[in-house]
Amino acid sequence: MRQPLALLLLAASLGAAEVVPEKIVFNRDIRPILADKCFHCHGPDPGTRKAGLRLDTEAGFFVAAESGDAPVVKGDAAKSPLYQRLITQDKDDHMPPPESHKELKEHEIALLKAWIAQGAPWQPHWSLVAPQAAPLPRTSDDAWARQPIDRFIRAKLDAVGLKPAPEADAATLIRRVSLDVTGLPPSPALLAKHLPKDAGRLSDAQLSALVDELMALPAYGEHRARYWLDAARYADSHGLHFDAYREMWPYRDWVVKAFNRNQPFDQFTVEQLAGDLLPNPTEDQRVATGLQRCNPTTNEGGTIVEENLANYAADRVQTLGWVYLGLTTNCAQCHDHKFDPFSQKDFYSMAAFFRNTTQGGLDGNVKDGRGPVIYLPSDADRPRWNALPGEIAKGNEQLAAARKLGTPLFEKWIATAKPADLDADIPAKDLVARLALNEGKGLPAGTTAAGEPVTWNKAGKTGPAPVFKKGSHLVVGDAGDFGTRQAFSAAAWIKADKVEGTGTIVARMDDPKAAQGWSFFQSGRNLGVYIISKWPSDAIKVVTTRNAVNTAYQHVLMTYDGSGKAAGVKIYVNGALAETRGEVDTLKTASKAATPTRIGQRSLSEPFHGSIQDVFLYSRALEPGEVTTLSKLGTLRQSLAGKPNAQQRDALREHFLLNRHEPFRLASNAVARLTAEQTMIRARSPLTHVQEEKMDSPAMANVLIRGAYDKKGDAVPAEIPFALGKLPADAPRNRLGLARWIVSEANPLTARVTVNRMWQELFGTGLVRTSEDFGIMGSPPSHPELLDWLAIDFRTHGWDVKRFYRQLLTSATYRQAALTTKEKIEKDRDNALLSRGPRFRMDAEMLRDQALAVSGTLSPRMGGPGTKPYQPENIWEVVGVGIQVYRPDTGENLYRRSLYNYWRRMAPPASLDLFNAPSREVSCVRRDRTNTPLQALVMLNDPQYVEASRILAQHTLLAAGDDLARLDAAARRVLCRPLKPAETAILTGSLAKLRAHYVAQPADAAALLGIGDAKADESLPKPELAAWTMVCNQLLNLDEILNK
Amino acid sequence: MSILHEWNALQTRRRFLGKGANALGAAALTSLLGRSLAHAAPGAVSTQHPPKAKRVIYLHMVGGPAQMDLFDYKPKMKEMYDKDLPDSIRKGQRLTTMTSGQARFPIAPSKYNFSQFGQCGMWLNSDLLPNLGKHADEICWMRSLNTEAINHEPAICAMQTGNQITGRPCLGSWASYGLGSENDNLPNFVVLIATPTNRDQEQAISSRLWSSGYLPGEHAGVSFRSKGDPILFINNPPGVPDDLRKQTIDGINQLNRLNYETVGDPETHTRIKQYEMAFRMQASVPELTDLTKEPEHVFKLYGEEARKRGSFANSVLMARRLVERGVRFVQIYHNNWDHHANVNGRMPSQCKDIDQPCHALIEDLKQRGMFDDTLIVWGGEFGRTIYSQGGLSRENYGRDHHPRCFSMWMAGGGAKGGRIYGETDEFSYNIVKDPLPINDFHATVLHLLGYDHERFTFKYQGLDQKLTGVLPTKVVKALIS
Repeated sequence: MRQPLALLLLAASLGAAEVVPEKIVFNRDIRPILADKCFHCHGPDPGTRKAGLRLDTEAGFFVAAESGDAPVVKGDAAKSPLYQRLITQDKDDHMPPPESHKELKEHEIALLKAWIAQGAPWQPHWSLVAPQAAPLPRTSDDAWARQPIDRFIRAKLDAVGLKPAPEADAATLIRRVSLDVTGLPPSPALLAKHLPKDAGRLSDAQLSALVDELMALPAYGEHRARYWLDAARYADSHGLHFDAYREMWPYRDWVVKAFNRNQPFDQFTVEQLAGDLLPNPTEDQRVATGLQRCNPTTNEGGTIVEENLANYAADRVQTLGWVYLGLTTNCAQCHDHKFDPFSQKDFYSMAAFFRNTTQGGLDGNVKDGRGPVIYLPSDADRPRWNALPGEIAKGNEQLAAARKLGTPLFEKWIATAKPADLDADIPAKDLVARLALNEGKGLPAGTTAAGEPVTWNKAGKTGPAPVFKKGSHLVVGDAGDFGTRQAFSAAAWIKADKVEGTGTIVARMDDPKAAQGWSFFQSGRNLGVYIISKWPSDAIKVVTTRNAVNTAYQHVLMTYDGSGKAAGVKIYVNGALAETRGEVDTLKTASKAATPTRIGQRSLSEPFHGSIQDVFLYSRALEPGEVTTLSKLGTLRQSLAGKPNAQQRDALREHFLLNRHEPFRLASNAVARLTAEQTMIRARSPLTHVQEEKMDSPAMANVLIRGAYDKKGDAVPAEIPFALGKLPADAPRNRLGLARWIVSEANPLTARVTVNRMWQELFGTGLVRTSEDFGIMGSPPSHPELLDWLAIDFRTHGWDVKRFYRQLLTSATYRQAALTTKEKIEKDRDNALLSRGPRFRMDAEMLRDQALAVSGTLSPRMGGPGTKPYQPENIWEVVGVGIQVYRPDTGENLYRRSLYNYWRRMAPPASLDLFNAPSREVSCVRRDRTNTPLQALVMLNDPQYVEASRILAQHTLLAAGDDLARLDAAARRVLCRPLKPAETAILTGSLAKLRAHYVAQPADAAALLGIGDAKADESLPKPELAAWTMVCNQLLNLDEILNK
Repeated sequence: MSILHEWNALQTRRRFLGKGANALGAAALTSLLGRSLAHAAPGAVSTQHPPKAKRVIYLHMVGGPAQMDLFDYKPKMKEMYDKDLPDSIRKGQRLTTMTSGQARFPIAPSKYNFSQFGQCGMWLNSDLLPNLGKHADEICWMRSLNTEAINHEPAICAMQTGNQITGRPCLGSWASYGLGSENDNLPNFVVLIATPTNRDQEQAISSRLWSSGYLPGEHAGVSFRSKGDPILFINNPPGVPDDLRKQTIDGINQLNRLNYETVGDPETHTRIKQYEMAFRMQASVPELTDLTKEPEHVFKLYGEEARKRGSFANSVLMARRLVERGVRFVQIYHNNWDHHANVNGRMPSQCKDIDQPCHALIEDLKQRGMFDDTLIVWGGEFGRTIYSQGGLSRENYGRDHHPRCFSMWMAGGGAKGGRIYGETDEFSYNIVKDPLPINDFHATVLHLLGYDHERFTFKYQGLDQKLTGVLPTKVVKALIS
């Protein structure tokens, strides 16, 4: 079994690994042995505990156990049963028992013996005790230190007899700082500005100025956010089954902004955990709660809502545990934790904080996941968006007054009303065609058949209904002869047989003539309208956005105001206005299609599959009230035919007033117009998922036996883990209480866990290597006093994030050159002791961003919906249910920062995935860092890198100079330093061979230069540019470039 | 003074980092998929007893094939047509919400003809699986698999990783972790997604199914794609022939060696190796995926479909080529077995996709002397209900998910040929003899590979994690030859 390296080194520093130290430290020497070899049967989990003995608590050692004796007699190993059971030859008594496959080494037994002899001093686990302020240690060279942290680092180096590496040269340090602060290499201007004129090292003041300048760039927040979004498991898809789009990016953008305005980490935390519960929460504070809504969700048919909700809450507890507490709380989902003092009850007490919310169990495969969400209208829409609720309320008051006024008239009318009377309410003005389509046989009235005759389904909406399929449709003729700048409306009952593909409900559209005309159609689960003079340059296309269509009967209706704008089209489903999006809005020309109006197909294409009935065409845009009337009439007739119940009576009254009581009609249309305005703003506004507490119930959860949703145990109230104390008596028993406790001094973990993660970002490894696990089985800290010092410093300085990073970035530790010696490899192979500067392969996003930056193509645009850069075909297509096609963006979005890449959980961006980017299906606070041939293939062959190489080559060639000058310029741009002679020789050799090849093979040159969306510079000779492209690609593949 | 001069001044006379790989000694840097130094464990975990199988081809039928229409012959059901499933059988057990609202649970007897095959007398659907039947005595038939999961996502996850909750390593990753690599030019664990002929109701397949979970990243499956480059970015960009690629990689590696000499980071050395490996992969994958050299009789054996990239027959043939070249674990997914409706319209094409290729694979491996140490596994993530979901006629019906019993088979690699293991009641609803939980099945597969599932562990979050989880689990000796 591998020991954490730091532990080995620690042991090494005390002498040979097998020597028992003079003074035994329980946490260092004893607990790891017990945890590994004994806790499974004698730990916190009573479910697997044997003989009632536990060795994870102090009492367990010294209080008499079931067998009668205390396991340990202080100072006397011979009388201590615990020790005797380790050394006995009696097979029945020997511990650990053979079936456990565990065995103590002699050395470990010796440690236990010495510990008992020394009086068995016990310690609680280090991370559960509040951080202790330690004085700065004295070191062999205190003058080396530039920051207090350096003293801790140096002291440990002294202890193992290592010396720090010399300070890195200025260019290397500028590149390192730039990459660490902004995630991007320094621009040539920044490098020139900050390189000391005397070619010496950076002074303290110079370094400080560099850090400040970089921290003021918006790229700082983007880079910090990238780490946080791994922890938050942010993605742009729901994660399971269809893995459909989830609109969540305003949360991502909030994180970027929060870092850029240097929001103190405690506020950052409280807002994400409980922004909605703050007094009068701001919109931003509600957006922040998206952290809790980033978990994967499902809409799989057959899954059980209760089970899904249990899973969602469990995911939140797990994330909270890893990100804030450094505890693998997830282990306690099914049983008490085997090692840490975290019971199953604790797990569900924590889950209780997250279960009392309004979220449903199924996400509907829609972008809002069926809520709760908030909408974020543009600045232009804000005034109306804010005014509309008041105006609608006022309108509703007027409507209520009119209702009151008209009700006696309704009472009088209904006393004698007959179903047929309702027909008088069908809007008659400008009705140009009405087709009942309920004959039940033959050809429906008002139509001529085309292709195969329709068949009939006896059970239609209004009598037997025709069934359309490919090859059958009905020709209506001249009615519906609307031009592209003419107002009109179309309505029908439809029953779609399938919810994929495109099917025409009613249209007058001339396929061969660039689809001239209009069409009302179903497309998958949505409805749409085309108004076209010439597709797509002179056309309107509007579609609904929220899965309007199912396979039951639905009343669908579209209106168009003749304005020539997408905004002039409205679509209604069952009388309600649907949210729509204008996909094409380019109409310029007024025109008319020279083909008859048809039901079930355009002139040639897009046949409907299913039934269509009761078609109405009007030569004007219907009022909302008229829409309601058309959609409800069928149902109302049925109600009136029988004896209407209270509900049906209400519906009849609304209908009567709408059609026969002018004050009501006016008020109703006014409210409908306002509501439509609100709907349309909502449809064009981004939304983001937020957390929302149920205000009428306390935060409670049931313990789920073995984690199974349907095996409920005791109900437990929301509470923090027992071993960490209790919420203060006056704290609210909800997420706000939890959040405030998380960032309180009473919590020994969060400050430590947070500074450790930030340390890890810069140095590659945390002081605690297992950043997610500060528990007993996690790695012990390499520098415990430093970790505590940092935690206290961070908290007492107002959780100031920029200040914290600045402290690390300006330390002597950080400034070291990344140079390795044999001695360092032997004593500090993984650089856990920081005997040299940090050097490790950068994360996937940094590599891509670096290539974009050095080629000068990186777009500075921030925020917004996820972008889709180059990606090979068939990455998305093969995952999830149904087929989602990945369509790469064109233009600027190909060159945006990788932070903005659309993240589909089932198939995260392929080239990032190969560099260990997480899928974001679960929280990730520590990425794997592998070194594989597949990564080489990305850097060599991915069009993104080939194109970046070519653009870098273009810049290089456009600059004046000979080969040597150009090589040097390219190298300075990429490496931030001049080439060494040996390097120049290799690259010159490469260039010569490449040049010879591309001069001889011009077709190869042309093919290579054709890669990428950005066109190659035609002014440059192709073979030359091709050769330089490959040279630049070599530079981008250098280990020095892949490393920070 | 430059940093380099300063550094050289600090150096002792003895140069410790030479130019060769030997300078790094024990740091094992030669794995194909590369280990970062943090994971510099040896390539393989030594086996714990002599293995019977050296490699695995696992054919996963996504969606859950209907056991009573293929392997679990229930003749008495003919008389029960359209009768209600007795409560004594269902026992109020949990159903998916797709049928829990049904007013009735009418029995849908299989519409297919069954006959007995081989000495072992295994009853098989003789209409749709005639070729598979030829191997009845070489196949180990298992009719009593059962799982806790009732929906696809958790069920496939459980079948592949031993746990319904995502994030654990799959069987292929465990095999890669244990067995290590036999070929330096190809990955250890390859995944192929076969496209079914009929695509009416496919279920989700995602890369999480072949993720390495908490095992080191190099044990994740590498998906060979059926469209575009077989391995992502394996092909040079247009305009870059192989010799030019070789030159550029040589240049990169020379520059990296210079860097290594000054900085001394062992990861740089690994990177050099990985670029060399990348080039070798680029050279070997086209040869691997080029089926044109396969003789005609091979296509006769596997069927013409095998020429079609991405078909099941093609994937199975690819699997044979992969294991031939030393790949340890090939996982094939074949979709569209989720027959909630229209068994009649869909089952024949599903079986046509797999029947001849499975026969061909067994035959082919035998001819090459590889059958005895290659384990073939066939099965889905759960079974299906005897009662019909939706409309029922003698000729057509649908079936809902059924976790309580389902059928799988294994062949070769130490699996007991001709064994018929486990029995279900006459409704193929509950198991009446020799239940086979998936953890026991996993333990048995690990046993065939030479590992004791109790001791084949990986330390993660403080626990000795294992494929078979924490519940009591056993190796089923009856399945082993």
